[in-house]
Amino acid sequence: MDEKGAHSLEIIGFACSYCTFKASEMAGSLRMKYPDEVKLIQVPCSSRVDPAFVVKSIFEGADAVFVAGCHPGDCHFIKGNYFTRRKIAALKEMFDTFSMKDKLRLFWVSAAEARRFVEKVTNFCDEIKEAKNAGKRA
Amino acid sequence: MKTGIFICHCGHNIKHTVDVGRVREYFSAFPHVALCRDYPFVCSEPGQDMIRESIEKQGLDRVVIASCTPSLHDDLFKDLLRKSRLNPFLLRRVGIREHCSWVGDDLERNTEKAIRLIRAGLYSAAHYVPLEEKQVEVTKSALVLGGGVSGLSAALFLSKMGLQVYLVEKEATLGGHVRSLRDIWPMKRDGEALIEEMEGELRARGTVEIFTSTTLSAFEGSFGNYRATLATPSGGRGVVAGGVIVAIGFTPFDARVKGELNYGRDERIMTTIDFERGAERLSLPDKPRVAILHCVGSRDEQVGRPYCSRICCINALRVGEAVKERYKDSYVECFYMDVRAHPRGGEEFFEETQEKGVLFTRGNIAEIVPGAKGLLLRGEDTLLGEVFEREFDLAVLSIGMGPATDARSLSSLLKITLDKDSFFLEAHVKLRPYDTAVKGIFIAGTCAGPKDTEEAISHGRASAVKLFGFLSPGYAMVDPFIAVVDGKRCSGCRMCERACVAKAIRYDEAKRIAQVEEAACMGCGLCNSTCPSSSIVLRGYVDRAIDDEIGALVEAI
Repeated sequence: MDEKGAHSLEIIGFACSYCTFKASEMAGSLRMKYPDEVKLIQVPCSSRVDPAFVVKSIFEGADAVFVAGCHPGDCHFIKGNYFTRRKIAALKEMFDTFSMKDKLRLFWVSAAEARRFVEKVTNFCDEIKEAKNAGKRA
Repeated sequence: MKTGIFICHCGHNIKHTVDVGRVREYFSAFPHVALCRDYPFVCSEPGQDMIRESIEKQGLDRVVIASCTPSLHDDLFKDLLRKSRLNPFLLRRVGIREHCSWVGDDLERNTEKAIRLIRAGLYSAAHYVPLEEKQVEVTKSALVLGGGVSGLSAALFLSKMGLQVYLVEKEATLGGHVRSLRDIWPMKRDGEALIEEMEGELRARGTVEIFTSTTLSAFEGSFGNYRATLATPSGGRGVVAGGVIVAIGFTPFDARVKGELNYGRDERIMTTIDFERGAERLSLPDKPRVAILHCVGSRDEQVGRPYCSRICCINALRVGEAVKERYKDSYVECFYMDVRAHPRGGEEFFEETQEKGVLFTRGNIAEIVPGAKGLLLRGEDTLLGEVFEREFDLAVLSIGMGPATDARSLSSLLKITLDKDSFFLEAHVKLRPYDTAVKGIFIAGTCAGPKDTEEAISHGRASAVKLFGFLSPGYAMVDPFIAVVDGKRCSGCRMCERACVAKAIRYDEAKRIAQVEEAACMGCGLCNSTCPSSSIVLRGYVDRAIDDEIGALVEAI
């Protein structure tokens, strides 16, 4: 972490190969810009994301984590994302106990929604940045 | 372990916002990294030769290629590893173009991001093991959904190549919208005759089964062996198809949505389709005044159609020409935003209609008011910036194309994606325009976006050629990313069995452990993340690899 605080943010995103990762590829091809703090890990399906990965990311020092998959009903693996939704909801409860519910987010982005992907990650990054700065001032 | 890292400049695409030299230096000092090189185009012939030579000379056992996104050129690089006698699953692709150099402008920060991304790839590749691709037999048959021109042209090609074709049409007759066209521009052909010709040729072939008034009710399986259930008038029918071509066409824009145009409430207001079908039944005065409205249901955010439908300008021009030919002294005025006479010869046709006396006014029509004597059109001339009111005897609306009504339900059934306008999305705009993200499912014709007849026919044929290329070897290689059980650690809690969507996990009563049926496993990894002891793992995405990837992304540089 450097002093300016400009580089000190790391956000890890788990993106499913069939929807969100495809959207991120499209965002790249369209030369859309989003914060470089966001780094993706490709998983075959959002249901591959073990809640332990999220916890591990926070332990390792990530400031926030998001899990993103196909819209409900559109999962390539039929209903993997429903499992993800329940797991992440349970995990959020746990995070809430430690007052860090805001550090975890789940959202759906289809392969066509490059713009939505960029909006989602940019907003999430801004929120995390703001919360972090507020914490520093306090 | 000997890892080789190859960083691509992609010309200037990566180099201009990532300091490639610094990345190379950073990794050169890494333990287990035998060599780290950068190259202008890794995918080029000399680039490939360089990788191959390095693998053979240095005896590399892991290859990390940092270049474009992993889904591009994947087969090319896998083949390269095979040729270098290295297992293709020891390759790790890192996307530093779509995910780094193209999405950020700052050289410093992009370089740091690239280093982190490549490091994540490097750490995770350390856990890779050689995997064997499985060869599965494919059924040399194709399911074509939609019996319009593009579906027919796909079916014709596939059956000619000797494949069994199942052609499914939801209407009672084949041909779709083209059947009702009288005069297809620029061929000057009758739509019905064209369809009859294609259908006749198709029916003469023994390897084609045509289902009319039929819809797809269930769909499962994987590339090479898709199992589809068809709801035919005589009951359900199951077919096995190696691949699918989706050609379900379009829906014409319903002009009634734009209430201010009063379509459907007055006979003198008609669409281009109505005009095509019933122009001769019109009773117009000797010197008729005809208004033609472009872009009805196209380039219109208010009705949720922001795109250009490509065909409607030509249709509007054809109406103008037809009126001028029948009534020499007619007054024909087109109201346009921009004239986009799309296909070849379109611009010349635009010129011709102008010479024939069709007038063009750049403007939007706000309202059509039917009156006893005529239709009153109110609008704004956007070149002069003036509001006008004019009387006409007939108004023709050049309507655009919308997605097919069952596009959404079919996309859920086949698990293929729709774009923002509900047309089917191609896998890559330029490199894979006919493919979908699902292997063996192709899109053809207007269900993939507005097209004219000629384009729809060639699009159908192109998709058919692609599918034939996939099926012709008679076998396919399947990615070995399936779940495996560690028998020693499995406690037999059966959580994975309950979770598995594909029903690929079976409980072995004798051994009291879970077992995976390889052929049924889809490779989603749900079981892996459900297992309390991680004793069932998804090959290629094992826990340790992802754990290390996480660490590598946040670790200090």
